[in-house]
This record gives sequence, C-alpha cells and structure tokens, in this order.
Amino acid sequence: MERIHVNDSELVSRYIQNGDEHAFETLVRRYKSKVYTTIYLIVKDTYVAEDLLQDTFVKAVDVLRSGKYNDEGKFLPWVLRIAHNMAIDNFRREKRYPNIVFEDGSSVFNTLDFAEDSIEEMQIKNETHNHLRDLIKRLPDSQREVLVMRHYEDMSFQEIADATGVSINTALGRMRYALINLRKMMSKNSPSYDTNLYAE
Amino acid sequence: MIQTFTQNDVIRYVYEETSEEENLLIQDALVHDTEMLEFYLDLVDLKIGLDASYREPSSRTVDNILAYSRNFDSKHQTSA
Repeated sequence: MERIHVNDSELVSRYIQNGDEHAFETLVRRYKSKVYTTIYLIVKDTYVAEDLLQDTFVKAVDVLRSGKYNDEGKFLPWVLRIAHNMAIDNFRREKRYPNIVFEDGSSVFNTLDFAEDSIEEMQIKNETHNHLRDLIKRLPDSQREVLVMRHYEDMSFQEIADATGVSINTALGRMRYALINLRKMMSKNSPSYDTNLYAE
Repeated sequence: MIQTFTQNDVIRYVYEETSEEENLLIQDALVHDTEMLEFYLDLVDLKIGLDASYREPSSRTVDNILAYSRNFDSKHQTSA
C-alpha cells in the first residue's frame, strides 16, 4: 500500500531519468486492475487478458526506456490506449477464428491446460462483481465498447465519438442502451422481466 | 422557459461531463421528474457496481512485468 501518494508524472520521470524500479512498480500496482479489467471486458478470456496485460506493460517499458515517451505526464490514458489497441486487435483476430468460451471467461483450451484454476474461478463466480462482469460481456459489441471506454478507460463521450467515428449522440445512445440493458439483465428475477436486449 | 433534459443528459451528469450551469438545472429537474430521478438513481447504483467490478491479474503476471523492467538494460546491452 502506498503511504505517500506521488503523482504519475513524478513516478514516470523518476523511472525514465533514474531507472527507479520502485517508481515503475508503484505505477504498475496502482493501475494493474484497471488496465486488466479493461482488457478482460474486451477479450472476454482471463488468460488472454493476463497475456495482453503483460504485453501492454512490456510495450510501455520499451517506450519509456527508449526515451520515446511523450505524453505530458498522462500515464494512465496512454497505457489504457496501448491496452485497448492490443485487446481490440486480439478480439478481431479471435472473431475470425472463434474459440469456445465458458461462462467464467476462460477458453476450452485454457481450461484443459489449467483445470485447477478453472475450479477456483467457479468458486468465486457467484460474487456480485463477477456477475456484473458476466453481464457486461453479454452486451452487444458496440454497447460494450462504449461502456468500457467511458467507465474503465475514462474517455469522454466526445473522445469516444471521435475514436469510433460516430456522433456524440450515437455514443451517448449506445451508453444509454448498455446501462438500460445491464439493469434489465440484473433484474431478471422480476416477473415483468423482458429478456430482449435493446439494440441501438 | 422550461428546459427539458434527456436520459443522455443525465448520463453526462453522472459521468461529470456537464457544466456547472447544466448541473444546477439537472438537479432541479430531478426533483420534479420522478421517472428521471429513478433513472438517475439506477445509474448511480450501476456506476457503483461497475466501480466494484475491477478484477485483479495474477501475481505471476505482475512479477513478469516487473522482472522485464528490471532486466531491460542487461537484455538490451546483450542484444546490441
């Protein structure tokens, strides 16, 4: 746990200029879950997400240590952009070669290799936050994309609109449907539950 | 003049993308529009749930990242 909060730009500067490994470790520990969750919600596979998290920070190290970093101290948005691009590339590749994915987010091949981890995953599956992540994964791609970009990547609706080539109203509309659909899925035990998801 | 707000405006409000002036108008509208207030409370509830839904990578992955950084110089000197 960090006792004194040093801002990101100071940590980046210490790492680049002095090779301060402790500064880099602080950045990794500060943002690992945010970056990991962002990747996971795009690729929907825990093991692929672990690999891509590693690739993301490896790329970050390469850029930082080679003196090519120029993001005016905004470390998190920069790392999230790397993570997002890697996850989207992977997602598109996997869509061309579909894999069988279980409810806990692992692929059939991963489970064959790591059966013990899969059981452990199943034991914690009933937790509320796991349930919510499962629901996010069921959203239509365009809605899930906006939700992840806004909530987990901290992009503004205007930035999302620019990045995805749609108007800000379309981005907001997709977010609205994503949130409404999540709420509907969460209240599925209600007698009036409507199983249909809203499309755009 | 009565200003009407949409659910999109409430989403922008929850994600703190509205101006100070819009905030005051939206807060006032929420008091008088039960349906919109319900939508707002649902959003806040969902946002709290999403905030709690972060998951942790394995310590092995984090250790690999830190090891890569620690060994960066020696690797690149060797390959140079």
